[in-house]
Amino acid sequence: MNSTDPGRLIPGQSEDNTINEILPVLPGNIRSMIAALSRSILEKVKEIRFRQGKPLVLGLSTWDIFLSVEGRPTQQVDEAYRVTPADMERLIQLISGSSLYAFEEEFRNGFITLPGGHRAGITGKAVLEGGKVRTLKYLSSCNIRISREINGVASRVLPYLLDGDGGIFHTILVSPPCCGKTTMLRDMVRQISNGIPELGFTGLTVGVVDERSEIAGCYKGIPQRDVGIRTDVLDGCPKAEGMMMLLRSMSPRVIAADEIGRREDVDALEEVLNAGIKVLITAHGKNLTELVERPALGQIIRSKMIERFVILGRSRGVGTVEDIIDGKNMRSMGVRKC
Amino acid sequence: MLKMVGATLVVLAGGLSGLVVAGNYSRRPRELRSLRSALQMLETEIAYGATYLPEALGQVSRRCDKTTAVLFSEAAEELSSMSGVTASEAWEKALGKYYPATALNSHDLSILHNLGASLGISDREDQVKHLRLAMEQIDAETACAEDEAARNAKLWSYLGFLGGLLIVLLLY
Repeated sequence: MNSTDPGRLIPGQSEDNTINEILPVLPGNIRSMIAALSRSILEKVKEIRFRQGKPLVLGLSTWDIFLSVEGRPTQQVDEAYRVTPADMERLIQLISGSSLYAFEEEFRNGFITLPGGHRAGITGKAVLEGGKVRTLKYLSSCNIRISREINGVASRVLPYLLDGDGGIFHTILVSPPCCGKTTMLRDMVRQISNGIPELGFTGLTVGVVDERSEIAGCYKGIPQRDVGIRTDVLDGCPKAEGMMMLLRSMSPRVIAADEIGRREDVDALEEVLNAGIKVLITAHGKNLTELVERPALGQIIRSKMIERFVILGRSRGVGTVEDIIDGKNMRSMGVRKC
Repeated sequence: MLKMVGATLVVLAGGLSGLVVAGNYSRRPRELRSLRSALQMLETEIAYGATYLPEALGQVSRRCDKTTAVLFSEAAEELSSMSGVTASEAWEKALGKYYPATALNSHDLSILHNLGASLGISDREDQVKHLRLAMEQIDAETACAEDEAARNAKLWSYLGFLGGLLIVLLLY
């Protein structure tokens, strides 16, 4: 638990060895360069970008650096190590566990989830079939995004979401991209599923539809992130279909999903709301006004079925809780900037 | 008396070495057939199960006969160690361990080399094509090997004894 400032996402204060989970999928030469970097840099690495023939870029929290040929961090483009075609080829083989054939669907979506729940985005030339992407070839770029689990970020918010009767309120997390929405959702799912003894809340069965493998970070179907003991994850499944499947098959008390927005998602969501199952979802948006204007989602919000809105932002760093709004009267619950 | 014992030993030695050579001739078609059925299993794992290569190789190694299993288990082990090797490198390394203990010849080896180069680097359809190609080539080699075995196995088993006898006669 993060006791100093629970409203913000602070990378683990203890030793952060997340990077070690990534190393096995890097080509040997690059692996040793990165492993030799100082701990202060390694803890900040958020992404590693490979572009064929271009400098290898390490994305840190706010800026990025190159690596020189000897493996020193540098800002100079001309001394940066450039990714060779052989590196690229090896990298693709390693991230796919030498089993490209097993990742056809992932290639169509443009990313692969790695052991540990990290993800590798890929681009190249799309091969089309009947107007739809069949696969990618001539892979040119790969971006390995390191996902760090931060337990406890939802602790401040959760008391506002419990209905005091052993259940939770229908909740939408609203946030622009990169504000810790998914991290917050994951921690909410974890705590709701495990139960929160301090609040006298016993855990509920949670069903997660993880279309993009971001919430639970499943690798071979097994969650790599801690999503709680009463959580069932439907990995890689389209949200609309997945919510209906969970509804029918796993009798969850809460259904969680990321980035609801399309018409069919909202239709499925209505179905879930009517079935008496609580929803815990996220949506892109800066604030509530923006959300209400969205064609599909706005309708549900206007119908007043959603009971809580949690607005995230980055006014005080990634993951700042800007506001929590009561869906019944659309008024702030007085939780500003915690 | 001693002479008789010596003579018997020489004939026996000749006969046995002849049988060993003959045995090698009949081993090759057997090993090729086992290799083929192993590749068939790998194809099924890849095409229908979309099983990850290290796992698929491991499963095949558990289901095929001992000599052939070495190739698949070594490759699987090398790949699962995540030491940064590609599938083709792991396959090559495994071939290095597997090949010397078999009766296969250089043709057979090159079929396996070619297969290794394409292992795991393309979509399902393409993997199946490469595996089918290798199996077809192995079938052709098996036919040759059986032919050779039929001709040579008998020949060598006689030749050994006769050679032994010849030496005895010459020395007597």
